[in-house]
Amino acid sequence: MKKIIALATALALALTACTSGTGSEGTKQTAENNTIKFYNWGEYIGDNVIQRFEKEYNAKVVCEYYDSNEMMYTKLQAGDKYDVLIPSDYMIERLLNEDMLQPLDLEAIPNMNGIKDDMKNREYDPENKYSAPFFCGTVGIVYNKKNVSKEDIEKQGWNILKDERYKDKIYMYDSERDSFMVALKSLGYSMNTDNPEEITEAFNWLTEQKELVSPVYVTDEVIDAMATPGGDKDLAVVYSGDASYILRANEDMAYITPDQGTNIWSDAMVIPKNAENPELANKFINFMLEDESAEDDTLTVGYTTSNKNVYEKMIAEGGEFNGNEAYTIRTGFSKDEIFHDNEELRSRLSELWIKVKA
Amino acid sequence: MKRFSVLVYPYLIWALVMIAVPMLMILLYAFTKDGNGVRDFIFTLDNFSKFFSDPVFLEVLKRSLYIAVVTTVICVILGYPAAYLIAKAKPRASATLVLAITLPTWINMLVRTYAWRSILQSNGIINHILSMFGIGPVKMLETSFAVILGMVYNFIPFMILQIYNSLAKMDESYLTAAADLGANKVQAFLKVTLPLSVPGIVSGITLVFLPAVSSFFIPKLLGGGQYVLIGNVIENQFLTAGNWNFGSAISLIMAIIIIISMQVTRYIDNRINPEGGN
Repeated sequence: MKKIIALATALALALTACTSGTGSEGTKQTAENNTIKFYNWGEYIGDNVIQRFEKEYNAKVVCEYYDSNEMMYTKLQAGDKYDVLIPSDYMIERLLNEDMLQPLDLEAIPNMNGIKDDMKNREYDPENKYSAPFFCGTVGIVYNKKNVSKEDIEKQGWNILKDERYKDKIYMYDSERDSFMVALKSLGYSMNTDNPEEITEAFNWLTEQKELVSPVYVTDEVIDAMATPGGDKDLAVVYSGDASYILRANEDMAYITPDQGTNIWSDAMVIPKNAENPELANKFINFMLEDESAEDDTLTVGYTTSNKNVYEKMIAEGGEFNGNEAYTIRTGFSKDEIFHDNEELRSRLSELWIKVKA
Repeated sequence: MKRFSVLVYPYLIWALVMIAVPMLMILLYAFTKDGNGVRDFIFTLDNFSKFFSDPVFLEVLKRSLYIAVVTTVICVILGYPAAYLIAKAKPRASATLVLAITLPTWINMLVRTYAWRSILQSNGIINHILSMFGIGPVKMLETSFAVILGMVYNFIPFMILQIYNSLAKMDESYLTAAADLGANKVQAFLKVTLPLSVPGIVSGITLVFLPAVSSFFIPKLLGGGQYVLIGNVIENQFLTAGNWNFGSAISLIMAIIIIISMQVTRYIDNRINPEGGN
């Protein structure tokens, strides 16, 4: 009995110690209000942007990285606090539905005016009250021009990924969203379908593909693997931004978005409701939209920028992405779709996806 | 002496908060359903029946156990001679060798596993050397060979160090006694050294089998995502499917399998070494 009492006392002591600990941390935060926590994709920002911001605003930026929207969402839901995030369209839609974002302070972000018109006011946030577009792109196929003919890939579209001639030569992107998009589009369905029969067909398409060509399922490893000349894969499903990087590094490679349609996506900067330093977060977003930062970002990462001036500079004669078919993404094509969030569907696809791979 | 026992309490609290509470959370999630909120629970066994009624998950479980067993066996076969040599070496040499074994573990596991990608890939170092002899390219990456290689490489230090510890502690006079009584070297090894090192092997097995059966990034990086293991399914349930309840149920099933396998090894240990201290 004595032991239990001693344990309980000790536990109570430890708990008070914990709370007083967080208390003092809290006051410290408000005292020096120049730190923001920035939660971003890995390798998704220019090399010097953070450094320049820290110097200019005498601030500190704590960076953390995620490799999927879902991972970011899980962390947010577990109660982690961040000041700026860069989620994708469908995830912003979901965060808005769950009331997890705060409106941007547009007066602090005059650089919103410099954003390309076609990236403004997209469906997930029709008036750009909550989000500042950062990068956008499509999903397509990078192929080795030496071993795959353009006519063949134009004729077959996504179905080339099931062509036995390319057995062991294919990288798929290891995400249920992108893989099911490929399967659904090649079957002629909408990528936002919740029709169980269409989903079953797509599931069968993917299992069949696995048997026929045994693709390798990768995520970011695909970038290096395709960018290094002499690699052993001829076809890969990639995001256009990664593709433009690959095309710059390896001249054997080309990019194509099949006529059956694809996913057209964008990532935008948002401020969560529980951000501890929204004032500086707004300044940071404004800073990220400046020409100099946007140029650094797009040159380092290879994704298509939302900044109008920088975009035009990049694709102009002599620009870094002049003639790079993965950088100038197609817009207004009727079969291209924006992905919409549907939690139940996502969970079902995720489970089917692990079954495809298993 | 009794006064000092108070010093144990901070540890007990630590253990309670950091070990017991998360375990209880897993238990709670495993037997409930719906969402990640902890406010209202609906108790259910659905998570377990879902796992056991689906041949895909059972296949994954079988594959995970198979790969973990193969990894553990290879670690024992390769690790025992290595540990034996280290233990029999001169003190300074053995200290250097132990350092050499532990040195790689100072580098992050993920980084070391990434390095294997560039070693094994078809335009990698090994295939480059093979091509000089006109062989290949041999497909090594994205096979079960690569997965097992990655696991053995990452986990073998635990095996070697455990066996080395039990061999180094051994009293050399037992061997002199065995020789006095007419045992040759092989007999002395089989009757004296090996039984005395069994506790080391057993704890080595535990330390290798546990991470091997639940690893998720080695199969992901080296298996090309085609060798889905149970750790990948758990990761998937927590991070992308968002089904914490099902993920917890699988974790719990794994925990039970691991406890059973530990009991079995401990039982074998006791049979071989009845008066062994541990």
